[in-house]
Amino acid sequence: MSDASARLPLVLLVDDEPRILSALRRTLRREPYELLSAESCAEALRVIESQPVDVVLSDHKMPGMTGLQLLERVAARRPRAIRLLITGWTESIPPEEIRAVGVREVISKPWEDAALKESLRRACKDLAERG
Amino acid sequence: MDQPGVGDTTLVAALGPDASPSWLRVAGERLREAEIARVGSAAECQALARSRPLDAAVVDARVGAEAEALVAWLAARAIPSLVLEPAGSDSAALAWLRAGAGECLPCGANGERIALALRRLLARERARRDALRREAASDVARAHRDIVEQLNSALLVVDATGRIAYCNPPAEQILGAGFEALHGREASDWFEPAGEGDETLIARSLRSGARFKGAEAVVTRPDGRRVPVGMSCAPIESADGTRSGVVAVFQDLSDVKQLRTQLLQHEKLASIGELAAGVAHEINNPMGFIHANLFQMAEYVQDLRRVFARVEALAQAASKSDSAELREVARALAAEAEAVDVEFVLGDLAKAVRESQEGSERIRHIVQDLRDFSHPDASERVLADLNQCLDSTANIVWPMMKHAVVLEKRYAELPVVSCFPMQLKQVFMNLLVNAYQAIEEAVGRSGETGTIALETARHGDVVRISVRDSGVGISAEHRERIFDPFFTTKKVGAGTGLGLSTSFGIVQRHGGRLTVESEPGRGSAFHVFLPVGEEGDTGE
Repeated sequence: MSDASARLPLVLLVDDEPRILSALRRTLRREPYELLSAESCAEALRVIESQPVDVVLSDHKMPGMTGLQLLERVAARRPRAIRLLITGWTESIPPEEIRAVGVREVISKPWEDAALKESLRRACKDLAERG
Repeated sequence: MDQPGVGDTTLVAALGPDASPSWLRVAGERLREAEIARVGSAAECQALARSRPLDAAVVDARVGAEAEALVAWLAARAIPSLVLEPAGSDSAALAWLRAGAGECLPCGANGERIALALRRLLARERARRDALRREAASDVARAHRDIVEQLNSALLVVDATGRIAYCNPPAEQILGAGFEALHGREASDWFEPAGEGDETLIARSLRSGARFKGAEAVVTRPDGRRVPVGMSCAPIESADGTRSGVVAVFQDLSDVKQLRTQLLQHEKLASIGELAAGVAHEINNPMGFIHANLFQMAEYVQDLRRVFARVEALAQAASKSDSAELREVARALAAEAEAVDVEFVLGDLAKAVRESQEGSERIRHIVQDLRDFSHPDASERVLADLNQCLDSTANIVWPMMKHAVVLEKRYAELPVVSCFPMQLKQVFMNLLVNAYQAIEEAVGRSGETGTIALETARHGDVVRISVRDSGVGISAEHRERIFDPFFTTKKVGAGTGLGLSTSFGIVQRHGGRLTVESEPGRGSAFHVFLPVGEEGDTGE
């Protein structure tokens, strides 16, 4: 992607709880990303279709579809996009499923601001190195 | 002795050379109860003996050689014979007696004498058969006794007045008393009333003839222990229908009961766990954004402070300005700042955010602990950090006891232990709640506090987890029974009496020991000893 370095990475936040989305936005407000958000998997899939999303940070337990299932679709649609899962139930998801979907990192909820920022920074660094 | 024979009618065979010997009529009259049957030959006598029970035979030796054979044949079948002998000598008589004859008289003996001798013979035979039957009967009785005594179940026979007539060794064991202490005592003294009314099952069976099969009852032993039993009991009725007592068979159900209640306890905990997990999940989401927002708010406060410092500097400068307008703005700003007490507000805002962060941090831990606690055990043992298990359990119960308890923690470095962590947390929870209740009982409403010390240590291949309290302590007589199921000293509703017995079972299943030391009035200490296990030593 020729303009990848010219524009800010596009990060899509997905959570069925709007307050979580706004808290995530607050946390990442000053980070060097362009933020998008979706309150459902369906909405997230629509965003994926229309926008060149670089990173997807999704909740796991959502009505209709789990975050893992969403990220699987993301992988099919935008294989270059980096996929992160954020959930309070890290231990209840089988690790082999997480590996199968190619999730780069599972972030536990509630998150630590610094840790979350660091995870995203690493993800975007990978992105930049891939070119 | 009107009935000399043993059968319904006494049958006597008579063999002799005469078709109708002279003694027969008189003897027949004397022995009215007997039927004397004339036989023509030894073979005929034998045929008679085969067809009907023959009680005795009169054999006249004058029939020749077959007399001797017949006497021997009869003797072999335990049928007594009276021989009429022609020589009339002692030696001849002796020879016949040796040959198996029961009596021997000269051939000329009259009917009277013969009847007398026959009667004697029959009486002797009856006595012999009676003795035989008695012996057989006592053999049967002995077999019965063996069956009853070697029965695995407890067996109790109660007489018509409700007193214990007999009990077998298992019954002695369950009732907690020896035979001599039980025999003749009121059976109902050993049982709690069961079902409706104030009666024991045995008393009810005795009174109404009711039968019970596998009914639940509770034995109260002289040492105070209560033993749950499964009991079947039935009245003993004589041939005429009167009740002569009750027989009760019962088995100790302590183990069965304990298993069942442990299972129940597990189920209960599992459903509480599910509920807790659901609640934890629901709390987790709002926690997530509160936590994040507070963090952000703390940063915003810093931002605002920096900005306000500049504003103040600007106002300072403006107040010295030549422009009246600027001086007025600066004055209004200073007045407003003073009215609001901006310095205080900014400081307090930061403090409020910090305190809220602290609170949210605490909620996060509680949620985490709840989730750990509700996380069901896998069917296999896992390696767990027991300090962490103990600590997270203490965190759960801490809020309910903190008004009365000072918690001291002395954790040693422990190797990971192969165990079922959820079950061990249940043990720690039981010990902590008991410790708290002991302290509560000691301090009452005085407002004083007690101490619970949590201590872990390693002794070679064994780790020890101790919960020590400064509560009321346990009296010596209670100390032996605290691990019994259903034993409780707590008020009704405050304890099931299962906590410690369940804990004991759990620790035992881990191959460990649960021990207690206590000083009444000073406090108690419970120690859980657990083997590290082979894999446990390999570390994390």
